[in-house]
Amino acid sequence: MASQSLSGKARHQHRRIARLDPYLWILPAVLVYGIFKLVPLASGLYMALLRWDGIEDPRFIGLRNFQRILKDDLTIHVLLNNVEYAVGTVIGKIVLSLFLAIMLNQALRGRTFYRTSLFMPVVMSFVVIGILWRWLFNAEFGLINTLLGSLGLSVLAQDWLGDTDIALRSLMLVDIWKWYGFHMVIFLAGLQSIPSELYEAAKIDGASVWQQFLYVTLPMLQPVMIVNVTLSLMGAFNVFDIPYVMTEGGPANSTNVMALHIYLRGFKFYRFGFSAALSYVLLVIVTLVAAIQLRLMARADNIE
Amino acid sequence: MESRYKPDTSPQPTGIHWRPYMVMTFNHAVLLLFTVIIIYPVVWMVLASLKTPGEFVSNVWGLPTVLDIDNYSRAWELANLGRSLLNSLIVSLGTVILVVALSSTAGYAFAKFSFRFSAAILLVMIFTMQAPTPVIPFYVLFVRLGLTDSYAGLILGIASGSLPLSIFIFQAFFRSIPNELREAAKIDGCSEYTAFLRVVMPISGPAVATVAILTFVGAWNEYFLPLLLVRSPEFRPLTLAVQVFFFQYGRVEWTDVFAALSIASVPMIVLYVLLQRWFIQGLTSGSIKG
Repeated sequence: MASQSLSGKARHQHRRIARLDPYLWILPAVLVYGIFKLVPLASGLYMALLRWDGIEDPRFIGLRNFQRILKDDLTIHVLLNNVEYAVGTVIGKIVLSLFLAIMLNQALRGRTFYRTSLFMPVVMSFVVIGILWRWLFNAEFGLINTLLGSLGLSVLAQDWLGDTDIALRSLMLVDIWKWYGFHMVIFLAGLQSIPSELYEAAKIDGASVWQQFLYVTLPMLQPVMIVNVTLSLMGAFNVFDIPYVMTEGGPANSTNVMALHIYLRGFKFYRFGFSAALSYVLLVIVTLVAAIQLRLMARADNIE
Repeated sequence: MESRYKPDTSPQPTGIHWRPYMVMTFNHAVLLLFTVIIIYPVVWMVLASLKTPGEFVSNVWGLPTVLDIDNYSRAWELANLGRSLLNSLIVSLGTVILVVALSSTAGYAFAKFSFRFSAAILLVMIFTMQAPTPVIPFYVLFVRLGLTDSYAGLILGIASGSLPLSIFIFQAFFRSIPNELREAAKIDGCSEYTAFLRVVMPISGPAVATVAILTFVGAWNEYFLPLLLVRSPEFRPLTLAVQVFFFQYGRVEWTDVFAALSIASVPMIVLYVLLQRWFIQGLTSGSIKG
């Protein structure tokens, strides 16, 4: 009797340890993620309520940083820049990469060569890419204006990074350049999962190539389309390296975007509280984008 | 991987045989154009890095007539690239080891054990992983923990960003491993942990490779965190060293800058070309399921 109750107790204890066991497996990862990701996400909420230069004692000012953001012309300008950047890069990347993916899905010879080459910039740092493109865009000696000159098209030569009207678009081109091969590979995977019977059926019904694209390819690509649009949207609202390395937001803030604005307010002008508050404005935007994505994905699943 | 969507090459009743060839030529022309747009600037960067400053101006397009290796030794010395290369290696490899260790164990627990709050923890990660981390509290945290100007700070900072996706990759992989394997190991007297280490991990090469490549490329190219957390030149990784070097370009020759850029990017490009299948699969694994 005694031994039986003892073994029962031991078993009970063993089970309790076993119940704790899974938490030990996830503990290191949860700790690192919790400390370095979740703590700043939460503690920033308090810092956003401070007037603080990072050196002297902070002063609590309530929601005044947020009120200031709403009235700040520069922040609104930066937000509009970022929206233009997002719309331009997303459309550019999606259209170009889908077009190339469809080409590549047909031209079979040399497919690995094309895929490897087009994907290559993904492994390059934006610092390297940014500095390289600063030279390509150089108004006087840059490769692009030199090329246009030797083609007799010097009318088209621009001060690519120095002109407030086009500097942001020049940066958008660099972003598209880095990522179109990446999005193409994802579209290609989507195209290859479309059953050929669908095209055969469409052909029997007399659908033209364009109709096949509209009524077979595009609907079937919806899942990868959502992935590609979301990834590039997120990228656009988090972009920092390109404008920082290439223009530092200039000329005249024409290439300033949210992540850069947050950084410069904090570390160039030492307005820590204001910068922290700005972070949450960006957070709300990104969260809205993510929420729309989840809705779309849920709807796509329902249709299937 | 064979395409199911091929152009219709069967003879048409109207007898137009040349059409598929025209389509093919058009496709190749377009693809080639966009490939050149990608490759040419990179090749040009390497060529420019081998030219003398004089030839760089006079001979923009051509191959260098005299190979000028001095650019490399100058850039190497002026920007202290040897030290930065070492820093980048330490930080990138350190991050890979930490992320693989932490995300494989966590992914295994989420895949194989049932415990309270597991769904909630995963949900918190999904909802926060895409959220941009507020810079100021992130920076203040690292200052308070004494983690600025240190390898540990860079490694922990980069790792925290790549943990969630890595956990999901491992979780999906471990789900596909039959439970019998683990049961058999436990019957043979293995503890849960030794079963994981001796039986499960050795057959998890594909997941490890995916996470390792994803993390390594991200850590190697990381620029924002070093910019934020590194003040002392001796801890600068390549990205930061190259940028600092370039920002002094009033005193620096462009050819030296291109040498520095080549040092920072060519090794990774070579590695990529050699292992391109793994790289493409790894770097897109967050977006393509399976």
